[in-house]
Amino acid sequence: MPQVRIIAKNFMDMVASLPAMKLDRLYHNSFICEAILRSLPPLAKKYVLQMIYMEGPFPAKSLEEWVLADGFSKHKVAIDRLIQLRVFMETTERKKETSYRINPTFQSNLQKHLTSGGVLPREPMPSNITVRLPSLEELDAYALEQWECFLLQLINSSQAEKLTNFSSSMIRVFQRGLLSQRDNKDAPRLTESGFQFLLMDTNAQLWYIIREYISNSEERGVDPADLISFLLELSFHIMGEAYNMNTLNEIQRTAIKDLADLGLIKLQQGRKESWFIPTKLATNLSVSLTDSSTRKQGFVVVETNFRMYAYSTSKLHCEILRLFSRIEYQLPNLIVGAITKESLYTAFENGITAEQIIGFLQQNAHPRVAERIPSVPENVTDQIRLWESDLNRVEMTLAHLYDEFPSRDVFDAACDYAREWGGLLWEDSKKMRLVVKAEIHMQMREFLRGQKQ
Amino acid sequence: MVNATKGLFISCDIPMGQFIINMNASLPASQKFIIHVLDPTHLFVQPHVGEMIRSAMSEFRDQNSYEKPA
Amino acid sequence: MGHGEKGRPSKKPKFSSSKDDLPFDDDDTYFADAAAAEDDLRDGDKEAKKRDFSKLELKPDHDNRPLWACADGRIFLETFSSLYKQAYDFLIAIAEPVCRPESMHEYSLTPHSLYAAVSVGLETETIVAVLNKLSKTKLPKEMVDFIYASTANYGKVKLVLKKNRYFIESPFPEVLKTLLKDEVIGRSRIRSENQHGNDGFMISKAMGEIETSHDELLNGAELAVAAEEKEAHSFEIDPSQVENVKQRCLPNALNYPMLEEYDFRNDTVNPDLNMELKPCAQPRPYQEKSLSKMFGNGRARSGIIVLPCGAGKSLVGVSAACRIKKSCLCLATNAVSVDQWAFQFRLWSTIQEEQICRFTSDSKERFQGNAGVVVTTYNMVAFGGKRSEESEKIIEEIRNREWGLLLMDEVHVVPAHMFRKVISLTKSHCKLGLTATLVREDERITDLNFLIGPKLYEANWLDLVKGGFIANVQCAEVWCPMTKEFFAEYLKKENSKKKQALYVMNPNKFRACEFLIRFHEQQRGDKIIVFADNLFALTEYAMKLRKPMIYGATSHAERTKILQAFKTSREVNTIFLSKVGDNSIDIPEANVIIQISSHAGSRRQEAQRLGRILRAKGKLQDRMAGGKEEYNAFFYSLVSTDTQEMYYSTKRQQFLIDQGYSFKVITSLPPPDSGADLSYHRLDEQLALLAKVLNAGDDQVGLEQLEEDADDITLHKARRSAGSMSAMSGASGMVYMEYSTGRNKQGLAKSKPKDPSKRHYLFKKRFG
Repeated sequence: MPQVRIIAKNFMDMVASLPAMKLDRLYHNSFICEAILRSLPPLAKKYVLQMIYMEGPFPAKSLEEWVLADGFSKHKVAIDRLIQLRVFMETTERKKETSYRINPTFQSNLQKHLTSGGVLPREPMPSNITVRLPSLEELDAYALEQWECFLLQLINSSQAEKLTNFSSSMIRVFQRGLLSQRDNKDAPRLTESGFQFLLMDTNAQLWYIIREYISNSEERGVDPADLISFLLELSFHIMGEAYNMNTLNEIQRTAIKDLADLGLIKLQQGRKESWFIPTKLATNLSVSLTDSSTRKQGFVVVETNFRMYAYSTSKLHCEILRLFSRIEYQLPNLIVGAITKESLYTAFENGITAEQIIGFLQQNAHPRVAERIPSVPENVTDQIRLWESDLNRVEMTLAHLYDEFPSRDVFDAACDYAREWGGLLWEDSKKMRLVVKAEIHMQMREFLRGQKQ
Repeated sequence: MVNATKGLFISCDIPMGQFIINMNASLPASQKFIIHVLDPTHLFVQPHVGEMIRSAMSEFRDQNSYEKPA
Repeated sequence: MGHGEKGRPSKKPKFSSSKDDLPFDDDDTYFADAAAAEDDLRDGDKEAKKRDFSKLELKPDHDNRPLWACADGRIFLETFSSLYKQAYDFLIAIAEPVCRPESMHEYSLTPHSLYAAVSVGLETETIVAVLNKLSKTKLPKEMVDFIYASTANYGKVKLVLKKNRYFIESPFPEVLKTLLKDEVIGRSRIRSENQHGNDGFMISKAMGEIETSHDELLNGAELAVAAEEKEAHSFEIDPSQVENVKQRCLPNALNYPMLEEYDFRNDTVNPDLNMELKPCAQPRPYQEKSLSKMFGNGRARSGIIVLPCGAGKSLVGVSAACRIKKSCLCLATNAVSVDQWAFQFRLWSTIQEEQICRFTSDSKERFQGNAGVVVTTYNMVAFGGKRSEESEKIIEEIRNREWGLLLMDEVHVVPAHMFRKVISLTKSHCKLGLTATLVREDERITDLNFLIGPKLYEANWLDLVKGGFIANVQCAEVWCPMTKEFFAEYLKKENSKKKQALYVMNPNKFRACEFLIRFHEQQRGDKIIVFADNLFALTEYAMKLRKPMIYGATSHAERTKILQAFKTSREVNTIFLSKVGDNSIDIPEANVIIQISSHAGSRRQEAQRLGRILRAKGKLQDRMAGGKEEYNAFFYSLVSTDTQEMYYSTKRQQFLIDQGYSFKVITSLPPPDSGADLSYHRLDEQLALLAKVLNAGDDQVGLEQLEEDADDITLHKARRSAGSMSAMSGASGMVYMEYSTGRNKQGLAKSKPKDPSKRHYLFKKRFG
């Protein structure tokens, strides 16, 4: 598995990857049980609900009988997921009969939660203490601004107006995989994954960052399970309500400050008390990405003359567009750029592909042009691809050329040998010459020596 | 006895092959870098010339392409 | 080489006075800046800040307003706005269009464009008020200041020819006083008896603008400002001093450039010409619009109207002549075109047969009666050498007559010195210039403004396509890889003079051309024009493919015969034309163009050639979006990849691209399965062709050069020019006045510095 996986499908994938003991501990919290239930694929949800009051193991065979033949793949997915999350526990009895048991902790807590409802460890503060809370619009704006500010800092943009309170080492953790530095003199550049990251929607980006945040927690002396539990709990808080800071433990208090930097939380200080207000970024946390129906509205218009007009006030958008275009004008709600050969070559050099750029332009097409087919003019997409392929006209490989073979047999054998190793680049049987990748020169030499004897 | 030569194997299209051949031809004998022209789309050259060829190609490409000024 | 442009910075001081402000600056500008370019690159950051107008204040209802205006004069217009039509009419009057694709237009405010705005009767306050109304943001102060500064003097003074007396007229008596303080003007004044007030100015009521579309955008109070000054003050000047007075008013002197208007209704001295538009001549909306700009206040303004080829420029010209109803001198670029203009006059107007005549080397006609229309060529009038006795007589009559209208076709192709000559030789009350492509690739575009007048109207190509008024052309750039052998020769230093011949004769290009001709002739029954500037190629292609060709040396009779056959015969569906076919030759039947070689990076030539097939054909409903023949015209540009041709090709397309056209790149022609039946399939054939190209002397493979021919422009003598690259890229004939782009000459950039003294006087003050 690659070191950095950009597509963090959702939070639950991460939960699923926790060790068994920690997962069991998480299920002591009934909110987490509910969050897990909600996140499950529909069929898995159904299985859990049908088995919630069943005691004892349930044979896998009987479970399979519930589904029609064509639903089997869904069934498989559901079962796999349940086992990953340790909601189902597999027991193999004698004669290899597989059966499932629902995790007892999960089961009893979910039962309790279903009958009596959950109680959060804290209540919203009365409004007479928190005099003026931000409106939901203000809160949304705050969250987005904060998030954008964080992203700008993340990609090392000079456009970042204010910096978050993250330590530079923490920022470096976030940047890992997204930015790369050729040498110390060079400013770090976005990697291909970094570019993909920027093109993801906010929820997906948030997952990625939170994931990094959690997986790094141990280095900060924090148990990831505590953090996950707190984050899930947080997603059950009510957006826009104020919660007293003194209901938090030490770990949570530290975490909440970081979350405020990311825009999940807004902190406010009263005369005596201080409180935190979850934003929609926090309450969306446990929402599975697969059913994110809130597709962002497109904002980019690309014209046949390679000019690009982006309806956006976002500095981050501007930075993203700058990755592959020449920004010419910035207006209060419009960014004007040109897609030029030069700007594209810079992008290609940074590992951004033509398809990524075209995909970005198409996915973010302004509604005015989105219904037009194609949403990005064909001559532009063609040209972007042609420019890219123009860069790949010459392929160079370090290699060795072998000639002066004593006999055709040796030549043919050498060709076969090189081919077996996947290193044959070129052969000319008439003149008995072949070119082989440099990596296998040692093997070739050995082989040829052997032939001589 | 089989002879092995270390070098850079270049695979390209016909015009680029011609471009590299022409580039080699225009250099004084001491700087010639092509070891073998294998066929119109494959060349075998000195191992260190990769960057030089790339930059010559990119210069040539720039000459032949018009970029509308901002 | 070439990096002059790459590095060309967006070094544009606010409202830089230079010709950079023109929408189509010429090639040399790019190179001249090469030396400065490197410094400017480092200023990149600073530059980015300069173009950062994100702090402009958005109006709360900005969604309903169609445009953004930047402090540096750039304006962005949303074409999907409900106010688009009004905003377009307004912007085209006050600003130069930079690009006009589908969704968003860009315009640039320049001193020239504002001069033009003022000339068609827009006043400073109106310009600012309407712009402010349309803008999503508060107008940047710099822009408002610029509008005030640029229009402070322009349009304030008019030169009016009334009953054959010349008057200097202005709504602002204090301006007249300023002028009179000048010695030359003071001396030229003729005092008349009926003087009013102590200034002694005559006062009359000038008619207000008829067209009020911009006013709709304003409320009453704002209108009042605009309507206030309609009273005109004037004094008379001595007719013999008119030129001197005009000179004194130019920006390099008093800086009150005079607008010329002709009060033709009150001209009782020059006899009327009885001609009307026929009822069948129904000007289209944009033709009406351009005429309304010209006759907006009941008088005739001098200026230029820009309409794409095929959009009916001639009807606009004939309509203008019909409104003025005085003698009209119509100038065209060649004899074929003279015939066509004479035909247009007879087609659209009720003019009597004997009142219209042609004056060319072949037909020396004279009209009867005391008023009429003369159609001739620029060369016939401007020719300085010895003429035949008959010609001399006619030219004498032309010189002595006072023309109501001087109608000038294709003004973009005529060199400025010829304009000067023509304009100084003929006396006219009103000058109307017509063109399709106001892209001057030399510096003289600015001259047109003062020699003829400002641009009165410019139509938007895409809107005309959408309206079904011109053909919807599918454009394609066909990439033809060089064959191994041709490319090897192309790269050799010793063949530097044959580069063009080699990329034009590239067998892969020939085969692509042959394939396209077959496809369009056989599959679609189309009529095809193949353009080649390179005579060697023209001849080789036409002979090999057995098609008729026309070039400079083809006689008039031969041309007419070939064109006739192309029009009527089912056998002749393809003709090969050299650049003589770029302009004026009217070939309405053609709907496919294949361009195999062209004049370096000339954006105008590309547009002119496209214009050959813009005349809309077929039924309107078929041509509209979704109709069965949405695209029924095709423009192919064949380009040999990896050669200089790629550079030129992209550059040439820029004008059309700015008008919203797009070129589809086609990479595999002919298709792989159609190999053997096309020419040059076998290597030995290709090698024979290569040998032919290489053995031809350098002088044979050059470009055709058209010479200005004395008394007769139709007998162009074609000669094969010595084909140095510089000569190839800068034909010195009258048709193209483009400087060598110097792509092969290093150091050219330095040898051609911008000479501030050569800058047009309008801009001089702002330069440096």
